Amino acid sequence: MTVELLRVEGVTKSFGHIEALTNVSLTINEGEIVGLVGSNGAGKTTLLRLLAGVYTPTDGAVVLSDGSKVEDARHRLGVVPESTGLYSRLTAWENIRYHSRLYGTSDEESWNRTVFFADRLDMKESLGRHTKGFSRGMRQKTALLRALAHAPDILLLDEPTAGLDVTSARTVRSLVHQLGETGGTVVYSTHQLAEAEAVCSRIIIIHNGEVRADGTPAGLLEQTESRNLEEAYVSLTTDKARTRVVSDKPLSKIAKWWQKLSTPKIPGGDESE
Amino acid sequence: MRVSSSFRRITTISKKELVEFARDWRTIFALLIIPLLMFPLLFIIFPLLLASEAAELDAIEVNVVIQSNDFPSDLAEQLNGSGIELNYEPLSIENNLSSPLEDGDRLRNGSIDAVLRMKENGSVWDYALLYMSTSERSQEARTRTLTVLFDWEENETERRLVDAGLDPDETLRPLNWDGEFSDSDVATSGEQAGMVLSLFIPLVLSVWTFSSAIQPSIDMTAGERERGTLEALLGLPCSRNELLFGKWLAVATITGIGVLLQLVGLLFAIGYLATTDFLTVPTLSIASIVFIGIAVLLFAIMVVAFELALAMRAHSVKEAGSILGPALLLILFPALFTQVINLDGIETFWFSIPVVNVLLALRELLMDRFVVEHIVTWIISSGIYAMAAALYAARQFKREDIVTSLS
Repeated sequence: MTVELLRVEGVTKSFGHIEALTNVSLTINEGEIVGLVGSNGAGKTTLLRLLAGVYTPTDGAVVLSDGSKVEDARHRLGVVPESTGLYSRLTAWENIRYHSRLYGTSDEESWNRTVFFADRLDMKESLGRHTKGFSRGMRQKTALLRALAHAPDILLLDEPTAGLDVTSARTVRSLVHQLGETGGTVVYSTHQLAEAEAVCSRIIIIHNGEVRADGTPAGLLEQTESRNLEEAYVSLTTDKARTRVVSDKPLSKIAKWWQKLSTPKIPGGDESE
Repeated sequence: MRVSSSFRRITTISKKELVEFARDWRTIFALLIIPLLMFPLLFIIFPLLLASEAAELDAIEVNVVIQSNDFPSDLAEQLNGSGIELNYEPLSIENNLSSPLEDGDRLRNGSIDAVLRMKENGSVWDYALLYMSTSERSQEARTRTLTVLFDWEENETERRLVDAGLDPDETLRPLNWDGEFSDSDVATSGEQAGMVLSLFIPLVLSVWTFSSAIQPSIDMTAGERERGTLEALLGLPCSRNELLFGKWLAVATITGIGVLLQLVGLLFAIGYLATTDFLTVPTLSIASIVFIGIAVLLFAIMVVAFELALAMRAHSVKEAGSILGPALLLILFPALFTQVINLDGIETFWFSIPVVNVLLALRELLMDRFVVEHIVTWIISSGIYAMAAALYAARQFKREDIVTSLS
């Protein structure tokens, strides 16, 4: 029986006149490992931030199964942002404990859970070390432990294996697998199709702020009549990906003048603009 | 229950910020050690260094050339006993004794330290003393020579008055102070000390509160965003106001400790100076101390909230630094301006102007002056400004674009 944990209802998210997500609707069910797949700037991170309650939808809503808005139920979520967000002057355990305390979890409970998962990630010996000298893999693992320490209902992972070496990426994927096998729910953002196929039970393809497909890997192949997921992805995202917009704020006259003055001219470049 | 869990989250945020702060020795040195040592260094070590330099200068013998054809022998005797090596030369110039001529080169190359030219002109002596103001030896030679010259002039004046049948005291000092000069001031030494301190303690408090809050404010806002830790924090079940308050508490604690240490250093220096009769400890009533505490607290709320807001609003650490650094002038100018405002009969409206109000309040309180109208005005106006700054900061913290740096 499928138990719905989280529902995205017709969510649109705009930044100024840029629409990062357009009328997105989806559900996250208990025990699913859902892969959010899309190119850079597709809207994966925006959707994850909406799921995490960091952003508020411009239109629509993100609600949990009990009807509460996600921003009021953040204690039920565990988030690992792409940047990991670790404090370098704190030890790994202090980083984990800081977040756990803000989640309202006791130190003992979070320590027990941390040790349990640290064993699986081969991180137990590093919990007392300052994160300053940590490799990218260790930082990612610490961020994972931090997100799991308060026993969240849903784990949101933004590109968790980006920049990791093969062994670290494999360890992270293995943990996500284990979580799925024990009934955990994970939303896993990635732009690697092969990774999504290996880890996720369901894949949502996002392109230019829209959900283009949502189903199991096998279902997607069937839907697009493709031989592999790469073909399926290409057939679903034929329109050109938009470029990532950093800011749509118009520049003031002074800012324009200064930009022009401080930008070196390229010899032989087109100066008509 | 909700209030207690909110308070727990605020203290958790604040504690974490303080732990991170305490683990960076450079920040500790800049924000805690320097303020502690600043005044003792300035008031104790610096004067000791100056005294040692002065003693060294006293010990040297300077070289003065006397150019005169009829130099008074008694003056020569006095000059001889003043650490001056004299060399005599004939006076070759008739008019304008101040003109250096070739002696300028000798003074410039340091072969001599000063040249005293003297010429008898009827009943008076014309003279000029050539020196080089950029040379310490030459300055010293000038000072020593002038001291002897003025003594000699005084003796000569008195001698001439006596020769003319006049009493030098009556003639030269017809106005005479009767009694001890220091007895005439009704202000106690403690009140005088309060007056002196009121001229720079408000300046120190305001400038240091603002400047020491800059670095932690930037680090906890724009810095946190740039390091990518803010996004994870914003996904936690704590409100933006709790986040702001937690960070405010941490910055205010760091700033408060910095200001307190600076005051400890200042009071230590004053204590040292008090033993040397230079300055006594000011007399302050309990009420004054309480009101000083309130004034500093309201000022700190306003300043720290304002800085956190500006730093959070900035697109990067670099931008935050280039905004908050010059913003110090917003405190410095009013702080300097209030030093020259006369507190006697001051109009009440001054106590409602931002920054100026707290600085004037501190000046009055350090002098143990209580004007109810002034106290009510600065408390209400400072409260309003502190609240406005806190609301502005809350507004910045609630912005969605604080998640990522836009730069």
